Amino acid sequence: MSVTKLAYYPGCPSDATAIDQDMSTKAVFEKLGVELVEVEDWNCCGAAEVEEPELVYALNARNLAIAEKEGLDIVTPCSICYYNLERSNIALKADDKLRAKVKGIDSSLDYNGKIKAKHVLDVFVNDIGLEELSSKMSKKLNLKVAPYYGCYIGRPPETAFDDPDDPDSMDKLIELMGGEIVPFSQMKTFCCGGPLMMTRSDIAFEMARKILDTAKSAGADCIALACPLCGMMLDGKQADIEKALHVEIDMPVVYITQLLGLALGIDAKELGLNKNAVDTKEILGKVV
Amino acid sequence: MIKTWELDPNFKEEIMKERGGEHLTACFQCSTCTIGCPITEYVPSYNPRKIIQMSLLGMRKEVLSNPDLWVCLICQTCTARCPQDVRISDLLSAIRRIADKEAEAGNIKIDSSRPIFDKAFQHQLEKYGRLYDIGLAKEYYPKREGSFFKGMMAMMNDYKDFGMRMFKKGKMGPKAMFPEKVKDRAVMKKIFEEMGEK
Repeated sequence: MSVTKLAYYPGCPSDATAIDQDMSTKAVFEKLGVELVEVEDWNCCGAAEVEEPELVYALNARNLAIAEKEGLDIVTPCSICYYNLERSNIALKADDKLRAKVKGIDSSLDYNGKIKAKHVLDVFVNDIGLEELSSKMSKKLNLKVAPYYGCYIGRPPETAFDDPDDPDSMDKLIELMGGEIVPFSQMKTFCCGGPLMMTRSDIAFEMARKILDTAKSAGADCIALACPLCGMMLDGKQADIEKALHVEIDMPVVYITQLLGLALGIDAKELGLNKNAVDTKEILGKVV
Repeated sequence: MIKTWELDPNFKEEIMKERGGEHLTACFQCSTCTIGCPITEYVPSYNPRKIIQMSLLGMRKEVLSNPDLWVCLICQTCTARCPQDVRISDLLSAIRRIADKEAEAGNIKIDSSRPIFDKAFQHQLEKYGRLYDIGLAKEYYPKREGSFFKGMMAMMNDYKDFGMRMFKKGKMGPKAMFPEKVKDRAVMKKIFEEMGEK
């Protein structure tokens, strides 16, 4: 295994609504023997709300520069943070003028393009590798899982690390853990509606419901995902969706890091599995 | 009906000068973007192909005041599928930024609360360097509703169940009442001054 140490970019929801994702990410990397060094004094990536590209590049130049000083690639469990970090990385690497302009704002934004930003799923499947992961697994997940990828794992092409229409990195990981993939290909990369949650919740709720309904009718025990905004929509807001749309869903939603942690034999509490909004007890009973 | 005397022949150059708008003229109107867009199911009028065509024709005012600009999810499906590499997701963002400037200047009215939300979000980053949910909600809701009282009511309505749910799961404690701040806040201010909206 080539990866032993990475800079860790937790992202803004990591100490609140996605604390379970943060806990499970840290626990899993520790178990795998990969040291995570938090990006010192990191700032927000700009999420989906900063539309000015140069502002996104400057915000992320600071995060990239801090990790570069440590000589470490950055890993993040959030798909949107990953997209913003890596697209900034690509833009800054390609454009000397842009890099000079950003550096001109403040010396702490002096980034030389020497590192990469990575999504946790990419690190698990492509850097650490399935063989290595398999050798460390001690539990089997007897679960039917709907793998939900959302937007930024397979899109846009320059930052994607999986197929845009039929990604399978999470499928492979779930099957390796003993899980069964339910028919879900139509919904794998359908947006959760998260970016419209605060301005058009009517649309956002309908979109999230479609994903939840599909998983339910496919007979899934849970949905697995890899982004805190998707987690907020499908898990955190699930009860609100049920109430607003007069439906009953009751579909557990877990982060892929939580599932991987279970397979690696990590205690459920340490993975924050008591913090998911929809109860996860039934899933835990199927881990043997 | 298109009124040719109202067209702005410079509009396409205006868009192409913005970052992300560069590939506008590569569009050959195949509609792949629109067919694959997840929003069209919920907003049937949403049609990125048509927005591009109107932009190319110079229908500046109609494009910039189209409320459909603000329901784009930035999900990148159109960008991934476009055979001409028009970068539609980035292109629409470029058009939204022009629309926002025009609205700030009082030239058009935007029928969406999304610009208010985006700005409230950015203000948190400028002040603290990280997202502060409560600060965001306290700015967004009153501005959207037009009064502090109505804003607080709308916020309560959206968040009372959710907040309690998160609190019970230990995801929203007293700590969430206060902003997480980066130590180097001076640099955040500088970044926004140099690169933010002018």
